[in-house]
Parts: sequence; C-alpha cells; structure tokens
Amino acid sequence: MKPTTYKYLIFLFCVTAIVAFTTTWQIKEAQAAGAKPTLDPSDPKSSLYLDSRGKLAGTGSSSKPVSEAFKAGQGWHPQALQSEGLPKDRYGLVDWAKLVNDGSIEPLHSLDEDEDELPPLDVDVVIHSKGDYVKDVKYPHQIHTYWLSCENCHPAIFEMGAGANPISMVEIAEGKWCGRCHGKVAFPLADCNRCHTIPKKAKR
Amino acid sequence: MILAISPKPAAAAGLGEMTFDNKIESMKKAGVGPVIFSHTTHENTIKCAECHPDIFIEKRGANDMSMKKNMDGEHCGACHDSTVAFPMYQCSKCHTQVGAAK
Repeated sequence: MKPTTYKYLIFLFCVTAIVAFTTTWQIKEAQAAGAKPTLDPSDPKSSLYLDSRGKLAGTGSSSKPVSEAFKAGQGWHPQALQSEGLPKDRYGLVDWAKLVNDGSIEPLHSLDEDEDELPPLDVDVVIHSKGDYVKDVKYPHQIHTYWLSCENCHPAIFEMGAGANPISMVEIAEGKWCGRCHGKVAFPLADCNRCHTIPKKAKR
Repeated sequence: MILAISPKPAAAAGLGEMTFDNKIESMKKAGVGPVIFSHTTHENTIKCAECHPDIFIEKRGANDMSMKKNMDGEHCGACHDSTVAFPMYQCSKCHTQVGAAK
C-alpha cells in the first residue's frame, strides 16, 4: 500500500475513536444528570410533579392540577401543595383553618361515601383565664367540628357542660385538654394569642 | 488606691437572681408563684444591649410586666416565643410553685 493510504486509515481510526469517546461521555453525563432528582417547580420534569405511581403528571405550572389523582377528584398532590402559596403561621406551619374558611380547599367529609355529613356546630365557648391579665380564650366549636366528630373530644377529653372541666395551662402543657392535639397535630401552644383573643375588661 | 477610686465597670455584671412578684395576686389566682429571673443565665448567653434599654428599662419597678404583655411580644415575650428562646406555655421554667394552688 501507498504511504498515503496508511495516513488515510490512521486518520479514519482517529475520527472514529473521537466520535465514540464523545458519545460515551455524553451518555455518561446524561445518566449522571438523570440520577439527580430535580426539585424545581417550574421544571415540568420535576419529581414534584410525579403522581403517587411515579408517573409524570405535572404541567410545569404550580397553579394547575398536577396528577391523575386530582383529575379523578381525589385532591392535590401533597408535595405539590408545598410549592403553592399556602397561608403559613409565624412558625411556618400551614394555616389549614384559614384555607377552609377562605374556601381554598373543600375536603370530603368522609372517605365513606355513604356516611351522612353532620354540619359543624357553630357555638363559641369562652374559657376565662384565671389571672387578671391574660386574655380569655374564645373556643370555636365551628372549625373543630368541621375537622372532627363530637366523639373525638367528648366525653374522653372534655366533659360536656360549662365549667365541668378544670382546664389549666399547666396541664395543657403536659399534654392534657387542648394539649392532646395542639402542639402535636394542631398548631403549637407557643402561639398564645391564637387562642387567647378576648382582652380582660378590667385590666389591659 | 487606684482600685478604690476607679469607677465601676459600665456593665453591671453578676446581678444574680431577681424575683418578679409585683403581680402576685393575679399569679395566685392563676396557680403560679413568683418568677425567679436568673440575670446570670441571661448574661452568659446574650449581650446587655439586646435587652436594655429597648425591652427592659434598667430600673427596678420601671417595667410594668404582665403575661398579657409577654404574650403580645413585649418584655420576656420578645424572645420567649419558641422562635428565639423556649416558649411561654412552659410555666414552670420561670414561675415557682406551679400548680401548687388551684
């Protein structure tokens, strides 16, 4: 063979090697990028927008329905909810009561379709604070009976009847009375003025 | 001689414990005793200017404190709201004789 033919073969080999190397490198790069879960809400491929079966469900907009479950009327994807502009309290916890009162969410009253819905009891109870300064508590039955049934609290936690329960803040902090839920599954006790709302008339 | 005439240091460190009991009648109704405030513990963690004079005037009896004001974020409540320091519903962390009288 002529020396030029050798040169041509070597050149071809080099080109093939470079192309092969670049392709392999690109595939590796893509694999590395694919292994990382993206958590950008504006990215339609974000893992926030996968439904509970792992299917891609998002539209890329956090204001639009995000999953097949939603289309079937089963509500919002919990992780997608986090990227929504949900009202938060001073501790960064979602203010679910505000969401309900604003009509932003309308959860089903029961998982059992045949169960009758009991309307919330719209009765406020004033619980007087014992000292002269701390504001009295206005306890709203309304929002509590919206989430819960009567039997959740009565008669195990609270006896029914005005003045029947020797409630004290000390015992609440120990996990009794309101402290059975508040500070655990409901907003924290540290948020004093969320319950203590009625100022004492005599002393301010 | 030099020591004797030199003024006291500006920071009045080492105040020890102070008793807050000017609202004792209300405290009794609520079933708690006076507050023993450890100035030393606070000196060890925060600087004087973080409390004085904006939150507390440096004069005994000059600060009309109450739990209502604390809950509104004044006085102790400026920090003790569970964001900076422990929350106020933990009565016995400050008040003595908690739950003694009902």
